[in-house]
Amino acid sequence: MPRHMGVELPLLFLAGWFAALYTGASLIPASSAWNAAGLPGLLFAMATSGFWMIPAALDLAVLSPVVGFAKVTSLVAAGFVACLSWRVARMAIQAFFVLNWFWMTLAAGLLYQEAPQQLCSVYLADQQGQAGRAMAAWACAGLLAWIWSVARMLLSAEDAERADVVTCAAGEPANSQFDLPSAIGRMCSPPNLRSEGQSSGR
Amino acid sequence: MKAGWRSLACGALVAALSLCAFSAVTHGFTAVTSDGVRRAELTSAPRELPELELMDARGKTLSLRDYAVPGKQTTFVNLVYVRCNSICVTSAGSHSWLQAEIMARGLQGRVRLLTLSFDPSNDTPAVLSGYAGHIAADPTLWRVATPRDAGQLQRMLDLFAVVVLPDGQGGYSHNAALFVIGEEGLLAGAYDVERPDVALADYLQRRTGS
Repeated sequence: MPRHMGVELPLLFLAGWFAALYTGASLIPASSAWNAAGLPGLLFAMATSGFWMIPAALDLAVLSPVVGFAKVTSLVAAGFVACLSWRVARMAIQAFFVLNWFWMTLAAGLLYQEAPQQLCSVYLADQQGQAGRAMAAWACAGLLAWIWSVARMLLSAEDAERADVVTCAAGEPANSQFDLPSAIGRMCSPPNLRSEGQSSGR
Repeated sequence: MKAGWRSLACGALVAALSLCAFSAVTHGFTAVTSDGVRRAELTSAPRELPELELMDARGKTLSLRDYAVPGKQTTFVNLVYVRCNSICVTSAGSHSWLQAEIMARGLQGRVRLLTLSFDPSNDTPAVLSGYAGHIAADPTLWRVATPRDAGQLQRMLDLFAVVVLPDGQGGYSHNAALFVIGEEGLLAGAYDVERPDVALADYLQRRTGS
């Protein structure tokens, strides 16, 4: 059970994520109409992730080959779609999904550790605690990874602005003036990807 | 705005499908464990008892279908194996409590008990007979039996949705419940194995029609 929930399920999700990271850039313009701001995609990823935490669903995945296949495909698809959606989602939306996913996964991990009764019929009761700890660990890791990426973005934005200020101070005309609202706006809006269908006057 | 409408439709579809999936696996948002789902399923859709050949502690053959005759008898069933010294002990304790209650309330003839072993290779009639003595089962109202052969075993496990796993120490880990075969002869309920009082209370409530 710890291997299933703590290793196999996250790896399936990450496999989809990395597949999109390296091959999915071309899909973003095509899917932008259906995945505005990444919302439907991230919703799908979160629903899939939550579904496979339900003990009855895990039992079915082990007992039925059809459900097992559905588990594998849905998790890989969830990782793939999440990666594509992440790149078009604004920070507020990213934060919403990361924080909600964190709480959901952490709560599930705590419940698996605390529940006195055997939750899954297909696994032994003493494996439940380990599976719960694995889920709690992934929740914390995911949150920390996101916080680190936000910190990195903030620091690089700050560095870029500092470079402009130094240029101004040296007497040379600056290409851009130091403008805090724009700096934050640039940080919060989607990165360089622009699809052809989107208008720039938002 | 076309892009907006398409995304909205996509999002709504994802939400709708997710709700359907969650509802299906939790039996309409009533349970998260397989045991809970089984309990809800049996209550909403009682199952017919199949023709399942059993052998009891005296070596007599009987069929599970014998309990399916509609009449005035309700049967409480538990599934155990004799060598188990964990949850089956609780299960047997619950049945003992029910036996005492049946006698105290004069319900003999209306309520009976059945213990089924899912380890027919080890739990032969002789072993079952010893077990019946150990749990002080009154043979007039509490019968102990096991499937006649391994072929019948899986059908019995499927009917009761019991999953049996070798526990790595020579025994089995398995889920358990206190099952009810109602007066209409159908497998109509499952209760927490530690709560025979709830099962009995429900039976008494149904009997008085309240």
